[in-house]
Amino acid sequence: MKFSVIKQRKLWWTTSVIATIISIVAMVISWQQLGAPLRPSLDFVGGTRLQFERDCTQPNNCTQPIEISDVREVIDAQKLNNSSIQIIGQKQQGISVRTKTLDVEQRTQLQTALTEKIGAFDPKGTQIDTVGPTLGRQLLSQGLLALVVSFAAIVVYLSVRFQLDYAVIAILALFHDVLITLGVFSILGLVAGIEVDSLFVVAILTITGFSVTDTVIIYDRIREILHLHPDDHIDKVVDDAINQTLTRSINTTFTVLLTLFSLFLFGGETLRNFSLALIIGFTMGAYSSIFLASTLLAWWRERKGQTNVVNSAEPIDTSTSSQDS
Amino acid sequence: MQRQRSLLILIGVLIIAAIVVINTISIPLGLDLRGGSQLTIQVKTTPEIKQITDRELEAVKKVVEGRINGLGVSEPVVQTIGKDQILVQLPGVSDPQQAERVLGGTAQLEFRTQKPGTETQLFAFQTSRAELKAKQQDLRKSNEQAAIVKNQQDLQKNNQAIAELFESTNPPLAGKFLKDAAGEPTQNNNWNVAIRFDQKGGELFAELTKKLAGTGRSIGIFLDNELISAPSVGPEFAASGISGGAAVITGRFTAQEANNLGVQLRGGALPVPVQIVENRTVGATLGKDSIQRSLYAGIGGLLLVLIFMLVYYRLPGLIADVALIIYALLTYATFALLGVTLTLPGIAGFILSIGMAVDANVLIFERTREELRGGKSLYRSIEAGFYRAWSSILDSHVTSLISCAALFFLGAGLVKGFALTLALGLGVNLFTAITCSRTLLFLSLQFPNLRKPELFCPNLSTSIKSGAEVQS
Repeated sequence: MKFSVIKQRKLWWTTSVIATIISIVAMVISWQQLGAPLRPSLDFVGGTRLQFERDCTQPNNCTQPIEISDVREVIDAQKLNNSSIQIIGQKQQGISVRTKTLDVEQRTQLQTALTEKIGAFDPKGTQIDTVGPTLGRQLLSQGLLALVVSFAAIVVYLSVRFQLDYAVIAILALFHDVLITLGVFSILGLVAGIEVDSLFVVAILTITGFSVTDTVIIYDRIREILHLHPDDHIDKVVDDAINQTLTRSINTTFTVLLTLFSLFLFGGETLRNFSLALIIGFTMGAYSSIFLASTLLAWWRERKGQTNVVNSAEPIDTSTSSQDS
Repeated sequence: MQRQRSLLILIGVLIIAAIVVINTISIPLGLDLRGGSQLTIQVKTTPEIKQITDRELEAVKKVVEGRINGLGVSEPVVQTIGKDQILVQLPGVSDPQQAERVLGGTAQLEFRTQKPGTETQLFAFQTSRAELKAKQQDLRKSNEQAAIVKNQQDLQKNNQAIAELFESTNPPLAGKFLKDAAGEPTQNNNWNVAIRFDQKGGELFAELTKKLAGTGRSIGIFLDNELISAPSVGPEFAASGISGGAAVITGRFTAQEANNLGVQLRGGALPVPVQIVENRTVGATLGKDSIQRSLYAGIGGLLLVLIFMLVYYRLPGLIADVALIIYALLTYATFALLGVTLTLPGIAGFILSIGMAVDANVLIFERTREELRGGKSLYRSIEAGFYRAWSSILDSHVTSLISCAALFFLGAGLVKGFALTLALGLGVNLFTAITCSRTLLFLSLQFPNLRKPELFCPNLSTSIKSGAEVQS
């Protein structure tokens, strides 16, 4: 079975353009409502998150689930408006409170007040995350810088390995993958309150590395076929290349997705959003390599009338195959 | 064949070495897994000190270390990050609030005078303090938490008792009057600590030394209310004290001791406030949960990939599976050897790299299948598979490594762990996915029963023109 990607390229392009537009719109809405394109966690804007679990070894401490109204009462009494409260744990014996950045005295005060109202907490089940606003900005700019540098380095590498137009289109596809991942999390931030943290930046960076990989595999093959059959039309070359590499593209993505789903299901709270971002990004990466990067390359070469030009940046040794054929 | 055999031996040796390493060296766990507090301390500038230099940061770090020692935590880590931050890791802290209170705030350095008639007491307390400190060192090695806390309380009582033997001058000769302090070598291979006061400080110091000279009582130099040095003043200064604002603390200092005291004094003299800008505390139970969960996730991911490869690629899939297990062993051993601290993101990176590790094998086997379908012999197809896939494998590894490098050099602490484990994994992967699986694959071809193309490529049409054996 052979399938032609080129024939329906208008469909792929439209789909991607629509998805990209939705992503951008979501980020604009998010910007208006939250003041940021994605809902930032305290990693980037500063704040305090406290997580407590009741100490169930003490008698009569864990008989009732924690009432959110009780927690709210304490929080309001401490004049910490705009705080969000969650009851966590299967037996509802834990709470998670996110507030503005609290210093150590304010935090102790809050913890004491909560203990009085709700019961003793187990110090071994306590989690504290406090980030000052300045440090938050520092973490954000570090993350963005890492992204920009990595993008630039990938462009340089691809330009050395392939021709510039390959590199530019690969980066275009990469932007598409990253934008849509951002878009999905922007929507999740708006409807489900999911926040992006430092690990999300890590996920985006990992996606950039992986997404380009997929594209490179197909480009490698396009280059190889162009070398063997310089007279073929670029559309046919691209279609052939995709068909020949399709199983690989799917399988390499699939094996990674297997581990990611495992992380998503069993990895716990911290890694859940991280693995979700990677799942979306890697899937988009595979999609964009097959349906976007290659069709765009064909279109570009067609337009420039360079269909028959073979890239000479790196000659391919074809001796093995010519002996046999 | 000779090369194959030596490669096979190399692989065997590496596996055994990896197992030995894994069994002997235990990988340290990050605070997010073992429980504890990680604090980032920001050193702030003031109108007097507009820029924090390395020398100042080092001095503040010393002060912070001194305060942490007062907490009685086992295996604390203090390191400077960037230009003006200090990272503190306190494993197993049960009261992070206390730690924050102790670590925040400006250092308090003060020169005090010893009260008359306390000479013998001071000597006794100092002796018992030395004993307690030595005991604390031993306890930390043995990691007995309860005993450490108990000993720490004794130490604190002792410190308090010592502090009561001294009194402040009026006005107090505080750290702000101290301009500089540094260790300096003497002629006879000894080290001294030179200190220098500003004008007002010099006057106060002259007064203080005049009072103490020749009495046998000491100057008490206190940092955060703990006595760090107790020099006495010679009788020759009884007339006018040590004037001119400069003095030398002599003693049988080694170079390190002298420098230590110098840095401590400088740190105490710095009027820079420190602020805790980040606190990440994870309770021990939560850390254990995370370990448990990531273990499940890791095993789950590994199993799924193993099954998939075996079902889809058959014989080569089995070999890829073996290579993958070797990969996991070698990578883990590499972590142990390099002393990588395993954090939750680090584990995520490792698990992710398991999924990516078979990428190279997928590329190679798909290529092999293509060549088989193209009618080449089995041996030649495998050769071509490895040969032709190489450029794609290299590209994919390099692009991923670029992202890792960006993460590692520009990311913050948490993120570095992920980048490091992923990058190490990619490196090990080049060896296992290519060299290992290639050697094992050719080894398997030496068994006639395994030399069947359909074990490599199901539904291969029988119209193959090459000489490979085909059973219908």
